[in-house]
Amino acid sequence: MPGPDARAGAIYDLGYRAYDGPRLGRAAAVLALYTFTLRGAFGIGRRTSAKVVPVTVTAFAYIPAIVQLGIAALLGSRIEIIAPWNYLGYSEVPVALFCAGVAPEIFGRDLRYRTLSLYFSRALQRTDYALAKTAAFVTALAVLTLGPLLLLAIGNGLASDDLPGYLADHWRELPQSLAAGLTIAFVAGCGSLAIAAHTPRRAYATVGVAAWFLITLPLAGILVAIGGEIGRFAAWFSPFDLLYGTALAIFGRTPGADSIQGRADLPLGTYPLLAAAHAAVAALLILRRFRQVQA
Amino acid sequence: MNADIARLAARTLLGQRRTLLVVLLALVPVLVATVFRLAAGADADPGLFTARDLLAGLVVTTVLPLVTLIFATGAFGQDIEDGTIVYLLATPVPRREMVLTRVLVAWAAALVVLLPSTLLAGAIAIESADPAIVLGFLVGVAAGAFIYTAAFTWLSIATGRALVAGLLYVFLWEGTLSGLFSGIRFLSIRQYTNGIAGAFFDLPGDAWSPRLGPGTAFLLAALAAAFLLSLAVRRLERWQLGESA
Repeated sequence: MPGPDARAGAIYDLGYRAYDGPRLGRAAAVLALYTFTLRGAFGIGRRTSAKVVPVTVTAFAYIPAIVQLGIAALLGSRIEIIAPWNYLGYSEVPVALFCAGVAPEIFGRDLRYRTLSLYFSRALQRTDYALAKTAAFVTALAVLTLGPLLLLAIGNGLASDDLPGYLADHWRELPQSLAAGLTIAFVAGCGSLAIAAHTPRRAYATVGVAAWFLITLPLAGILVAIGGEIGRFAAWFSPFDLLYGTALAIFGRTPGADSIQGRADLPLGTYPLLAAAHAAVAALLILRRFRQVQA
Repeated sequence: MNADIARLAARTLLGQRRTLLVVLLALVPVLVATVFRLAAGADADPGLFTARDLLAGLVVTTVLPLVTLIFATGAFGQDIEDGTIVYLLATPVPRREMVLTRVLVAWAAALVVLLPSTLLAGAIAIESADPAIVLGFLVGVAAGAFIYTAAFTWLSIATGRALVAGLLYVFLWEGTLSGLFSGIRFLSIRQYTNGIAGAFFDLPGDAWSPRLGPGTAFLLAALAAAFLLSLAVRRLERWQLGESA
């Protein structure tokens, strides 16, 4: 029997250690994904060129509120041109452009560069990933839809000569603003993410989201004007007309006679229902996409 | 014009899913015109509807800029994104020629989609009203598409986010802001388009009229086209390799 082969290898102890520190688990992973997606939506922690679009667009969404507060400060708060219930009418273009510019970034890189497998190999589950990212984008969008409404509510109160009296009359506007701002952010956010999740190429996703918001707007206007009995239902399917109607319903206002909601003459209560249906369909589409997509 | 660059650019622009998206966009006005023809009441004015709502309101404000945006940002944007711009720039073709060729190809591609869409939508909706309305908008859209293409080509060379920058220009500057500050009509491709279209017809009374006179619109459109083209050429001549990485 020959002796042991001199060439046979030996096993060296390289000092690899197993990690035995605390494991933060699923909840912490979801929270981290949420925070970093939210930061990324505004380009915080990214290079300057990534900040330009979200910051510019956000600034434009605040301008009407600042203008109204300027008027209120100079002329007194009775002159109310830009009010919480018609605010979306002034901020719809910035909101649409924020969605078109930022929503493709939320899922786009992970889908394009196949980094999903890295996420899914950790404690994070597929549903968690989709929900955390969606929640982060909705929060980012709420900065544009809810932020100016709160600014208006607080600023109008401070600009009035009789703050306790103003609060007694207008305290309802605060919860109504909260509800309207969050609903708009939720429906617009879920809708644009559902489009973006199905189009990995950034260019197509941007055009798709922009088309969903901005083509439907003149389209619904024309269809309501000429389409007669069937055409008036178009007001339900143009996202901004739908959300404007929802805001009117939340604030308990009647639409103006020449607004699209006034001409469509659909019951105002149906707008929140249709908005909820839109958001539910969009959220289901996002969840289904990430249950099926190849990691 | 450089035949090889033109052929390759046409293949990038037309051979993809992009084309499907653009055709869908172009079908929207035709659909609206059909609805108008079928459903509009007896009191509707087809001339006014065609000019104000269909061609100025839908085609010129959204379909025209979106279609040109998709084609023009694709002309250089895709090369830059994929890094293949290096091979183009390394050829001995003058950069002025590269820009001009690609602008012309993107413009032609946009026209192939936009003109039939405008013509068909107009022809369906116009009924017995003045057909010069459709003719006017055909000319206006062709001119507007050229300026938009030059503008967006420049954007796609100058920035990595040309698509969003273009959307900002179209919807914020030409849409929201020009409604508030009427002086913006002198700096708005949309108003040049409407002004050129308006040279061909007259709608009775104050129903709808372009916000720029035809003479001003022609002059400003020509100036804008020349200026934007020279900007795009200048930007590409100063292009440094490795810039967009």
